[in-house]
Amino acid sequence: MGAPRTFNEHMAIGLIRPAGSLDAMTALQPYRGPWSARHAAHLLRRAGFGGSADEIARYAEMSPGDAVDALIRFPDTSSLPAPDDVYDPRPLLASFFRGDKARRRALLMQARKASGASIRSMREWWLERMLVTPAPLQEKMTFFFHGHFTTAALQKGVWPTYVYAQNQLYRSHALGNLRDLTMAVSKDPAMLLYLDNADSRKAHPNENYARELMELFTLGHGNYSEEDVRQSARAFTGWSIDRRTGTFFFNHRTHDDGVKTFLGRTGNFDGADIVNMIYEQPACARFWAGKLLDFFVYDGAEPHLRDAVASLIHKHDYEMLPVVSTLLRSNVFYSPRAYRALVKSPVEFVVGTHKAFGLARIEPRSVPALAQMGQILFSPPNVAGWPGGQNWITSQTVISRANFVASMVNAPVMARSTLARMPLDARRAAHALADAILQGDAPPESYAQLEAYLDGAGTSALGALSAENYEERARGAAYLTMAMPAYQLA
Amino acid sequence: MKRGNFLLGAISGITVVANADHVFARALADTSLPGFPGASDRVFVLVNLQGGNDGLNCIVPHGNPQYYQVRPSLAIPKSDVLAIDANVGFNPTMRALKAMYDKGMVAVVQGVGYPNPDHSHFRSTEIWQTAVPERYEHTGWLGRYLDDANLPASNLFNGVALAQVLPEVLVATKTDVPAVAQLRGYGLLSDRNAAARRTFTELVSDNRFPFTSPYLAHVAEIEDHAQRGSEELPRLVAGYKTDAAYPATPLGRSLALAAQIVAGRTGTRVLYVQHGSFDTHVNQKPTQDRLLGELADALSAFYDDLAAHGNEKRVLTMTFSEFGRRIAQNASGGTDHGEASPLFLVGGGVKGGLYGTAPDLGQTNMGNLRFTTDFRQVYATVIERWLGRPSSAILGGSFAPLPLLA
Repeated sequence: MGAPRTFNEHMAIGLIRPAGSLDAMTALQPYRGPWSARHAAHLLRRAGFGGSADEIARYAEMSPGDAVDALIRFPDTSSLPAPDDVYDPRPLLASFFRGDKARRRALLMQARKASGASIRSMREWWLERMLVTPAPLQEKMTFFFHGHFTTAALQKGVWPTYVYAQNQLYRSHALGNLRDLTMAVSKDPAMLLYLDNADSRKAHPNENYARELMELFTLGHGNYSEEDVRQSARAFTGWSIDRRTGTFFFNHRTHDDGVKTFLGRTGNFDGADIVNMIYEQPACARFWAGKLLDFFVYDGAEPHLRDAVASLIHKHDYEMLPVVSTLLRSNVFYSPRAYRALVKSPVEFVVGTHKAFGLARIEPRSVPALAQMGQILFSPPNVAGWPGGQNWITSQTVISRANFVASMVNAPVMARSTLARMPLDARRAAHALADAILQGDAPPESYAQLEAYLDGAGTSALGALSAENYEERARGAAYLTMAMPAYQLA
Repeated sequence: MKRGNFLLGAISGITVVANADHVFARALADTSLPGFPGASDRVFVLVNLQGGNDGLNCIVPHGNPQYYQVRPSLAIPKSDVLAIDANVGFNPTMRALKAMYDKGMVAVVQGVGYPNPDHSHFRSTEIWQTAVPERYEHTGWLGRYLDDANLPASNLFNGVALAQVLPEVLVATKTDVPAVAQLRGYGLLSDRNAAARRTFTELVSDNRFPFTSPYLAHVAEIEDHAQRGSEELPRLVAGYKTDAAYPATPLGRSLALAAQIVAGRTGTRVLYVQHGSFDTHVNQKPTQDRLLGELADALSAFYDDLAAHGNEKRVLTMTFSEFGRRIAQNASGGTDHGEASPLFLVGGGVKGGLYGTAPDLGQTNMGNLRFTTDFRQVYATVIERWLGRPSSAILGGSFAPLPLLA
């Protein structure tokens, strides 16, 4: 690793340009500027869960277009292992109604206990998949949809088997069509249970799914009326589950086949008609444009940029592949406005930390640590998913992030991590760490402070960095680098 | 000792910083204005009943035959209701709160809501927390109070959210409110090591970054506050003991920590806790009964605890929920999103009793209860009569306080 780059050197290689918003045309044109490890790392953070030193180096060698292609045209991942334990309580509960109350309670307790264990192991399984998959963008989209069409496990009968089926549904539609996915979500058992539509009947429609479908999933607040909620809830009555097979079941007897008026049109609509009519609304493309910009580029994008992405979505009829491809190649994606302009979610923080250390397996401590940071996979706080952005950063969660890293750097596995290959010179080690972990995105004074820490400065009892204290100092310095504000940003 | 563990290294040792007495002195600053009654050490605790609490099965209109018609299986039998009078009474699980009510410690405000009610959880929560129904507002009403109250800017604990995520109600322009989920685990492991502690402090104060980001300054500030705050807070609340019988639930633990903070020397004026989820679209009864029972038991333990430390008169607690629920039950034994609902004010200064008008089950907004008391009247009561500040600038308008505080 060489000497630190100065501010002017950063300017010279194109990482810092005068701020200011790009016009809509320029914003979405392919980026043709300089390309470095920093750009590659930015792309890998956004389109995946960060990169190991090797991955960043490999992407930095490609052209920007090839780098995006490598992520977009992802390989078949069906050979990756499924979770070991996807618990399905239906065999156990098959005889549920033949027993007395005490037996029923015992059966339910047994099913809940097994489900809890199953979901805990699935959390670790998914984190591991995020870490090792050869198709990081597929996994990132799955994660995006999990936070969007959100469903919480272990309540309302959302058993692990339904959770895994939904997870696979998102994966299979990773860069597919949003309308198709919304249609599939409307028939997804986990969703039907979580938002109560499985119990919605003609006599008293349950409005929960119909409302959130429009408010949170497709149109956004203010683009439909209360009457639209009530009418579409009627259209979704009878969209239920066959509890024996655990699959979607359309119940003619509980479906309201009367005439409804929805978004200004009148007819004998069912749920599929509702989804199709929603996707004809200009507000739908604008809604998704905002969601994609918030997730991949920066939040609170200018209206002209949002409109431009909405036109793109409309032009491609809600196909995600060309839209995400355009975003990841665009000038705006590599603009200073977008650079480190998102707050890492805890999952990105945890998986990215494993990548930064070159670890091959997820450390089991990651799962409880994520709960402390405010993100439990398969258990979002409510139907709106995780609020994200600035909300990730509170005094409580930054302490949890730092303490997770402190426990990671002290773990035995670190002996096999990239830390084991650090220079023995304090100055060079400080730069190596800041380069590997932050791609050099540290203030100049921070390098000096890290170097002082590594050299034992200020502690009269201990001397300079040496083979004796190397391991302890390197672990501490890696921790401190990851505690820096820049590392919290994607 | 593991050789490589930087937390256990030869230079480790507990570090002691800050001056607790200094913080204590700051906390005693009087923040009320002449003509407003707020004393210097008053605390306001806000309890968010998340998800939309069904008001009709909370404060039950047992004297109203219509209630029993629209809720054939969900209505609470008259004989079970803990009657306040011939018309309304508490849900039977709220025995502990009813006992406090009978002692004059609880004000029930009926039919609280706001104009043009929104049925979205998220928008309605936002409206309750910002107190601005007409437009999107970034700051919360308690955040604006904290900015306005001339509290010592150097105190990190003027407001504290007992949660992992900072609620919008405490978002302020000038005041950064810490979120503390629990005391255990609220501290940096690296602070045990003097060199790591010092370097952490240095790194989060560096600001010449080779890039710009809208979040950088915010992250750095919170990291700095987290480090200093997590060192100060345990000391400021140390030595606290309690025998109060809190329920072993998240709300019970939060209120126990709230009592500890009140008894400490943090100078805290505003605390936030949350409880839920009350979003009972399906099979409402067991869920809501459990949650209301926990609420009543936790509030009762909280005030026992406060009283044991001589603090019960210092602390006013208020509940709110983003909306009530539909008058008629749905086909799933639950209720959908509705409008007006009752809320409770408990403890310090409260003149116990029923306030506001019970909503009319006949005159509805498409099956929802119409509000009879504007929520900002309740907020104005708290701001003016308890916290001792004028409310019109904070609430963006003049709202008449209710006569429910002594």
